[in-house]
Amino acid sequence: MPIFKDESPPIPTVGEVADSFLLKRRSQTKEQILSSTYHRYDSYDNVALDNIDENSVPKFIPKNNLTRLTNMSRDNMICSKCGEGFEPQEKIVNSTGQLWHQQCFVCAQCFREFRDGVFYEFDGRKYCEHDFQVLFAPCCNKCGEFIIGRVIKAMNASWHPNCFRCEMCSEELADTGFIKNGGRALCHECNAKVKARGLGKYICHKCHAMIDDQPLKFRGEVYHPYHFNCTTCGVELDSNAREVRNRSGFAKNDMNELYCLRCHDKMGVPICGACRRPIEERVVTALGKHWHVEHFACAKCEKPFFGHRHYEKKGLAYCETHYHQLFGNLCFVCNQVINGDVFTALNKAWCVHHFACSICDQKMNQKTKFYECDLKPACKKCYEKFPTEFRRRLRRQHEASHKKATTPVPS
Amino acid sequence: MENTHSAPAVVPVNTVSCIPLGSKMSKAKKVIEEAREINNPELDLFDKGISTFEEMPGLLNMLNITRITLSHNKIKDVPPGLANLTNLEILNLANNHIEELPLSLSSLPKLRILNLSMNRLNGLPRGFGAFPVLEVLDLTYNNLNENSLPGNFFMIETLRALYLSDNDFEYLPPDIKNLKNLQILALRENDLIELPKEIGELSRLRELHVQGNRLTILPPEIGNLDMASNKSVFKFEGNDWVTPIRDQLQLGIGHLMDYLKSETYRVLYNRFSTNKPKIPNSCIDKSKKVSRIR
Ligand SMILES: [Zn+2]
Ligand SMILES: [Zn+2]
Ligand SMILES: [Zn+2]
Ligand SMILES: [Zn+2]
Ligand SMILES: [Zn+2]
Ligand SMILES: [Zn+2]
Ligand SMILES: [Zn+2]
Ligand SMILES: [Zn+2]
Repeated sequence: MPIFKDESPPIPTVGEVADSFLLKRRSQTKEQILSSTYHRYDSYDNVALDNIDENSVPKFIPKNNLTRLTNMSRDNMICSKCGEGFEPQEKIVNSTGQLWHQQCFVCAQCFREFRDGVFYEFDGRKYCEHDFQVLFAPCCNKCGEFIIGRVIKAMNASWHPNCFRCEMCSEELADTGFIKNGGRALCHECNAKVKARGLGKYICHKCHAMIDDQPLKFRGEVYHPYHFNCTTCGVELDSNAREVRNRSGFAKNDMNELYCLRCHDKMGVPICGACRRPIEERVVTALGKHWHVEHFACAKCEKPFFGHRHYEKKGLAYCETHYHQLFGNLCFVCNQVINGDVFTALNKAWCVHHFACSICDQKMNQKTKFYECDLKPACKKCYEKFPTEFRRRLRRQHEASHKKATTPVPS
Repeated sequence: MENTHSAPAVVPVNTVSCIPLGSKMSKAKKVIEEAREINNPELDLFDKGISTFEEMPGLLNMLNITRITLSHNKIKDVPPGLANLTNLEILNLANNHIEELPLSLSSLPKLRILNLSMNRLNGLPRGFGAFPVLEVLDLTYNNLNENSLPGNFFMIETLRALYLSDNDFEYLPPDIKNLKNLQILALRENDLIELPKEIGELSRLRELHVQGNRLTILPPEIGNLDMASNKSVFKFEGNDWVTPIRDQLQLGIGHLMDYLKSETYRVLYNRFSTNKPKIPNSCIDKSKKVSRIR
């Protein structure tokens, strides 16, 4: 790993993940399950609370303890709650080494018996689940639910362990710790990324350290080049390495491979006809050469075509405007550069699709006789339908300018 | 014809006139139906005896249509609904009886070529210049003049060719300079007394037709145009040119263009501007123009 000087501003502060374990889940033997008075008790252990000592841990009394108690003398036994003794056949509740009348073994808040025998203890008092949660259990800052079990104290709030996550990548932070960055809790990796971005640098996708020199882009991620070796010769790569796309497809970059520059150049990767460098991205093939998309440009204005139409003439490519300006004919009707046969007549040009009578729009060919009016062609049929008065003047005009009806010259 | 005189006719007059009309109607209908069947976006409806769009039911709902050729018919009214045909690129209404156009026409978003030659237009609707992509506008042989053009007429910046021959213009508005892409300007057989110097700003102009007008002098700015090249055509016959211009024209367009740019001509032109040559009378009798039939 390279050693680099961290010159990032000291924004992130390491926060604390305060874990408080009120109860640890006890391992429950089969016997215990069978003999437990408060058999559901164990399923509610792991009550977690801040600043609680071992004394406030609710405990269960196994049934055999109670059984043993019945054999003891009841005379010196008193209820922890009311201080009274017990009747001979009265059921005695024994919990955490203390004894109760059944009617005294109730929630300190609602005075009801514990449902299914489950209770929670705090500061020597016992509570039913409901009241315990209402009075003491913290709420998760994320989901708003009570937190039973492990509580994460962080960012001035409490969280379920799986609710406390990196705000960028949503990784759980409970066991990895986190970094406070601009009011956000981030994992170490994301924090490093944020920091690197601030410096205009990348974080290596493999080792998560900042990349000080040129990064190597591979399969859509950035890396220190030295994590990779050339697919052909095995040499350790530098940033000149080339990522070669899977030849058959295009979208699947997980098929891409890395080569050192030397091996890459030997692979027959196309070389740009303009800059002479290899083309890894899209290749334009024209004029018998390969080109970088951005290097295939008009020979006159040098603007890249970027997929727009281009026109070839004598080994050079031109944009539409300049091709027309230099050599071309635009069709009078479609106003497009004419590729292929051109009809020229009346100081105009037409493509094969559009050489037509200007009045009836019917196609004409090189054999069609046509008349001319303001250098527009009119077929014989149309001309004969012109107003007589108009035709007479046109004829006179023609005679004046010594022009005759022409037949187009196909070229 | 005899029937119409001997009323009451054995066969009602309207029935008689309906027979040929009916057969033409079915021709137009047939073309439309065929086009619809094979999804042909081009409609050839020229010379079908059509006098109203009502004879072409459903036409205005054929939204895929790119060309309609309705030349040589007797159409008087163009329905505003024609503007529904948003794919229309070529509309040919040459040689009809159109006197007025709907305002909506200029909203056709793809219309590139509009032929209204040989009609009876005395004016153009308000906002006519709003065509977004119009390239060729043929208004030859109508009854238009400088006062019948709407204010935005010269805003059709996409225009490549403007045909105004056989109309009644005496002057051409200087706004013509806004038609930056104009390559063809035809003004043959109007009543033009002079040309605006702004024509000299139409740098792409390569066809200028001004035959049969009442022109005597040319603004020196015309010399800026590339009219002498072999790609250009300048038609000038049938005007009452002042002698120096006539002399140059005898020698050729190249000579004229050089002359227009010369200091000699500038001096001459200034003299003519303060002391205008006599305006020649209109040399063309247009009274028999079919477009004037009311
Ligand atoms: Zn309670
Ligand atoms: Zn939560
Ligand atoms: Zn993260
Ligand atoms: Zn690395
Ligand atoms: Zn290149
Ligand atoms: Zn260019
Ligand atoms: Zn064409
Ligand atoms: Zn025709």
